[in-house]
Amino acid sequence: MGDLKARLKPLFRRSSTFSSPKSPKAPKNSVFEAPTGEAPADDRSWSKTSLRLKNKKPSFAIPVYEEKEAPLQLHPLTPIETESLGRGESEQSPDTRLEALRPPPPPPLEKENPTLIVETPTPQSRGAEVGGAATKDPKHLGESDARTTIGSQRPGIAHRRQSLARESQSRFITSLLQSESPQSRPLGTDYFGEVLTPPKMQQHKKIWVRRPGSSATQVIINEEDLVDDVRDMILKKYANSLGRSFDPPDITLRIIYRHPSGRHSQTERTLGPEESASKILELHYPGGQSVEEALVIDVPQRRTPKHSPHLAMPYFLHDDLRPRENGTDYFPPMPLQGPHSPHLPSNLSISSAQGVSHHPAAHSIGVLTTGQIPNLPSPGARMARHSQHRPKYGRQHTSSPTVIQGAGNAQNHENLKSSNPQPLPTPPIPEQMTPHKAATPPLPRVSSPGPRPKPPVNKRSKKAIEQSSAVPGSVRDGAVPPINVLIVEDNIINLRLLEAFMKRLKVRWSTAMNGKDAVTKWREGGFHLVLMDIQLPVMNGLDATKEIRRLERVNSIGVFPNSASSTPTFANGDGVGVDRMPEIEDSLMNTALFKSPVIIVALTASSLQSDRHEALAAGGNDFLTKPVNFEWLTRKVMEWGCMQALIDFDGWRKWKDFSQTKPAEKASVTNNSGKSPKAAMNGKVQDGGGKKEKERMTLSLTKENKASSEDTCTGTDTIGDSRNVNEIVGRA
Amino acid sequence: MAESENGSTGLPDLGDSIDALTFEQILEMDDDEEEREFSKSIVYGFFEQADKTFKEMDSALENNDLVTLSSRGHFLKGSSATLGLTKVKDSCEKIQHFGARKDENGNPTHYDDRKFLSLIRDTVKVVKADYKEVERVLKQFYRDPDAH
Repeated sequence: MGDLKARLKPLFRRSSTFSSPKSPKAPKNSVFEAPTGEAPADDRSWSKTSLRLKNKKPSFAIPVYEEKEAPLQLHPLTPIETESLGRGESEQSPDTRLEALRPPPPPPLEKENPTLIVETPTPQSRGAEVGGAATKDPKHLGESDARTTIGSQRPGIAHRRQSLARESQSRFITSLLQSESPQSRPLGTDYFGEVLTPPKMQQHKKIWVRRPGSSATQVIINEEDLVDDVRDMILKKYANSLGRSFDPPDITLRIIYRHPSGRHSQTERTLGPEESASKILELHYPGGQSVEEALVIDVPQRRTPKHSPHLAMPYFLHDDLRPRENGTDYFPPMPLQGPHSPHLPSNLSISSAQGVSHHPAAHSIGVLTTGQIPNLPSPGARMARHSQHRPKYGRQHTSSPTVIQGAGNAQNHENLKSSNPQPLPTPPIPEQMTPHKAATPPLPRVSSPGPRPKPPVNKRSKKAIEQSSAVPGSVRDGAVPPINVLIVEDNIINLRLLEAFMKRLKVRWSTAMNGKDAVTKWREGGFHLVLMDIQLPVMNGLDATKEIRRLERVNSIGVFPNSASSTPTFANGDGVGVDRMPEIEDSLMNTALFKSPVIIVALTASSLQSDRHEALAAGGNDFLTKPVNFEWLTRKVMEWGCMQALIDFDGWRKWKDFSQTKPAEKASVTNNSGKSPKAAMNGKVQDGGGKKEKERMTLSLTKENKASSEDTCTGTDTIGDSRNVNEIVGRA
Repeated sequence: MAESENGSTGLPDLGDSIDALTFEQILEMDDDEEEREFSKSIVYGFFEQADKTFKEMDSALENNDLVTLSSRGHFLKGSSATLGLTKVKDSCEKIQHFGARKDENGNPTHYDDRKFLSLIRDTVKVVKADYKEVERVLKQFYRDPDAH
């Protein structure tokens, strides 16, 4: 205790009057001043409510009942205080700890009758008074209350807590007051249950943190630490999984409110680096932070947010998260990371207060660094097959920045789906077309992973890891996937330039000069990507986009989950699962050519955000502003093309067969052709496996992207790709 | 891909009326950096297009045809943007907005049509001047004997 005192001492304003907290007979006055272990920062807040402690009422004689009246007087203050003193409030916790360490309260000191000289407006004195009085001497406490009209003894503490002391403090105080032989109580936590961790050092504190989907752990912080400091500590704690890849500023912390319906309407928020960690915790978790309330650690994907578009997700980009196309920087500032859709094998966080299901640690970073791939309950064999095939694609393409799923995005999706089934003419619409399929026959199959041996999953997964980490060199060996692009432009200049781009990318293309043409061409089938000018004669690009989406819907083209969280079923291009036959004039001639919804990238020269919103709302997946940057266009073609190639497995396999004649880097890819990945790919999967599989594929893409993120957009990529395609084309 | 040196050295004085990066990426498409067949065809195609469009704008102005003016503005905006002709593009966008009875930033406003027409008339003058400038520069770049 001696050293505790020594440590405390500097904190006390009037250490001269302070006699050790131990001292059974605290000298008058000192009692209330004693534990002013408050941070100076408190002054500000406290001073607002600074108490006139000087009005010396004869305190000693004050009977309890009299004290009990006190709270009433105080009440008017409390709301203000609680609001405005958020800071101060939380800072008091050190006091609590202090007290925990302190020896039991001395016997009542009534006789001493402290004259309570606490110099009035000293902010600390008040805090001191509360804590000190409480610990030292119930009676004094009462006295001080009476004088300051703060509150009565025990019940009063609760009241006072609102204004002065924390709940934990008051509980503590209460406990103290009630405990007959305080010595018997263990220090620290007991009064608070597990909520407060036993403070070894008065200034230290442990807080719970966790990564999304993982179990919580504690980090030690100082009372004064800002969130920024907490990030440091987190990196120390997660030295391997995070520390190697991230710097403290990369990390964001989210707090999930205990009562979502509370003052703040949100259920969670991201903490700013400048906020005081302990205060926040005190504020939001009065009584202490439980394990479940661990702060969620979000880490960005590495440098570039690059989710490949996820097939099971509607191809809709939430606009806030889209890159602002200012022509300068492709990549937007990192989005706030919020809850994630369970669909996304995201690097970002998943969990949220609403209990969005936790994807089992599907962090690709984590995968890379820990070598663990989340176990997916779904049939893994297919999965693995794909991860084996996949390298040919993903490696080549360094980034897939077009889908950036970030904060709230997933939620938005879910909201859209659940509350507002058909508000947007966006791709998700087909979900509504096949709602019952999820519920009925397919489901049983979901739960029967039997036929697909599990072991391969792991084996394959490991292979995938090895591949992705070990073969950076082959990254650029690939080619642009053999996609077919429809260019819709009414301006011949732009059209010619886009054609030239396509030529250079060695992809097939067709053109249309207006929206009606575009729809007609699209109906012929076989297109993977549409570059759609927005403002077109006859039928503008938005209407054309909507029309295409509508036709896709009625023909049940596409791979859509029924809802974000439920097991998806896939309506495929062969019409399996079509629950409603399209009208004759709407039905597509050859549905086999429509493996998936076409990717529509809107082109606009407009600088208006509203035009972009419209484009996305109409069902576009993405947009590019004119002047179209060739590198961006290349990336779009790559990314979307890769995804489409994955869906269009038939086409892809042909292409693969060509490219397999290039032996070297393909070796790992070929050995699984025995089973039919096609079934998995083109939408015949009715069980959850399909979704998972795609997730995995996306994950793989992401990983590969990471591997090559450094040379995202170098000319060599293009050169290599073109070369490869040349070769392939030549063979074909 | 040693194209950009060409572009940047070849177009030293484009100033802010031509976005060098955008234009250079068109130059990159040229197979032959002497002939510059492709980019030249694009650029000269644009000249034709611009001339035609300006005529259409003029006649639409005479007819007080805001709708056509807007659509022509949009049309030329697209191709000028593609070539990186920033100033022309900006003016065209204004014409498009005015024609759609919006202010120059695209916010709906409540002038009467004569006001919009006069705004467009002014803007068309500006855009023609801007266009003349880039035309001159580009023709020089392509060593066009017409370059003045």
